[in-house]
Amino acid sequence: MLRLLTKIWAFLVRDFLSDASYRLAFVLQLAGMFFAVAVFYYGSRMVNPQTEGLEGVEPFPWLLVGIAFQLYFSTALYAFAAKVRSEQVMGTLEAMLVSPTPTSIVIFSSTAWDFTWGGVRLLVYLVCAVFVFDVKLNVASPAALVLGVGLTLLSSAGIGMLSASFILYFKRGDPINFLLSMGTTFFGNVIIPSKQLPHAVQWVSDWLPMSWSLKVVRGTLLKGLSFGDVAGPLGRLAILTAVLVPLGLLGARIAIRKAKREGSLVQY
Amino acid sequence: MDYAIEGFELEKSFAKKRSLKELFTKPFATPERVRALRGVDLHVKTGEIFGLLGPNGAGKTTLVKILSCLILPDHGRALIGGEDVRHENKVKPRLGLVHSDERSFYWRLSGRENLRFFARLYDVPGKRIDSRIDELLHKVDLAEAAPRRFSDYSAGMKQRLAIARALLHDPPVLLMDEPTRSLDPSASLALRALIKDELKGRDGKTILLATHNLREAEVLCDRVAILVSGTVRQVGTIDEVRRWGIDEHQFRLEVANWRDEIAGPFRIVSTERVNGHRRVVVALDGKGCLDDVLKSVMAQGGSIHACDRIEPDLEESFARLLAQETARGST
Repeated sequence: MLRLLTKIWAFLVRDFLSDASYRLAFVLQLAGMFFAVAVFYYGSRMVNPQTEGLEGVEPFPWLLVGIAFQLYFSTALYAFAAKVRSEQVMGTLEAMLVSPTPTSIVIFSSTAWDFTWGGVRLLVYLVCAVFVFDVKLNVASPAALVLGVGLTLLSSAGIGMLSASFILYFKRGDPINFLLSMGTTFFGNVIIPSKQLPHAVQWVSDWLPMSWSLKVVRGTLLKGLSFGDVAGPLGRLAILTAVLVPLGLLGARIAIRKAKREGSLVQY
Repeated sequence: MDYAIEGFELEKSFAKKRSLKELFTKPFATPERVRALRGVDLHVKTGEIFGLLGPNGAGKTTLVKILSCLILPDHGRALIGGEDVRHENKVKPRLGLVHSDERSFYWRLSGRENLRFFARLYDVPGKRIDSRIDELLHKVDLAEAAPRRFSDYSAGMKQRLAIARALLHDPPVLLMDEPTRSLDPSASLALRALIKDELKGRDGKTILLATHNLREAEVLCDRVAILVSGTVRQVGTIDEVRRWGIDEHQFRLEVANWRDEIAGPFRIVSTERVNGHRRVVVALDGKGCLDDVLKSVMAQGGSIHACDRIEPDLEESFARLLAQETARGST
């Protein structure tokens, strides 16, 4: 376990040093986040607070939490595939895979910085919202919030591993990324309350981890709901996690094996 | 015999890329396959530098990738230190790969930061990392350049850093895939000295060197294998390979009082006048003896001032082999 942690730490340091070397981009990203929050704030003023599906929350915090957390959870969806692809293109993947570190650990650890930086961005969004735009957070059950976020990251990682497997298996850019991105944004209760969607497609929302995780996050972060109040969505998330994580691991195992046979792991 | 690297009947083929037209017209057709290795046998002795020579597309890189656990063979076995490459957790700690691709580092990080990162992946104990990196940077003569960004390194420095990385976990076996490909002559010379004097001479590493640079193979390798179209055509010392397909020896004689009538148990290849003497190149068949040649020339009035053997050229031998291969392919 300690060995794994030291490897994850090495990836974190590597990517931090690399990103921090682009100092201006680093600062501009932070400034960009402030403007993004401002856009959500003024954009949400056009939304009627009585809109069905907002669950009694003001449009701005509802929208901000939805988008900020979707961005964070998306890290788990795309980071594995994006990292495999970028290391392939950069030419560094082969150098890592020839080391005694197992391929799966290389792939998963290489996303450590994306998760860390995603967390920092999430905090910046929330800090801006609280201190600049006067959003009131009402956290009654931090445990439910942490569990919800953890389960969402895991279930999203399951989908992300399937997506990365696609790249490894077919040796080309992942065409399902765009579909996933648009699909979760549309059906996942992120910007549009699922109750505003046509009745015929509202069921899709129930099958996405994002919908349930946003119920948990909005409930525990904005409405002060207790653990018991969000037990239902947490249960749904747990079931989705239990299905998606083994599926993702199996997909990754098959894809890595196939890529090693075909030689596609180190080509692009 | 103690072998550090072994290959037995290794076979590898890759699916040929399909055209866009084929993808539409025959979407479910099995893609055609290109055979990269065809029954390759390889035995590299512990402590030797073994050259893998061959033209582009001969299968050298495929073989190196199989030996470094990056791809799996379709058939056959490859062993590093007696362990099958399919058991990569046992094999990888025993080998280091030196890439020719300078993109295999992080360009925004310094040389030292790059090595620190890879040291973790190579399971170098935390407390040993800095001292090991210092030791290696010194060995590859990059100690002063260590804090500089990798992007500021010259091609030679990048290649030396690649060697330092491959040595981080002190493996007994090094695989080098065209390590001097992008280097200028002086950088190549320095790198060859490092490989021969330090890695082989001092550290006793077993080195498999894939290259199409015959000069490099001549300077560095104890033995070589010539790989053509995925098949090993010749294995031997440089001298053996040089003489491949040649059934005669050539000698260069400096002769005073040469007369064109002089004849003997040899064939005259060429003669030219040099400083009042004749420089004569003679060829003897495999059973011929130099002593008989000298005696014969002197008996006919020639006075021999100098004599040396002309070593067959490795490039010519290589070209002969390729020509034979081409002829075989066209029949």
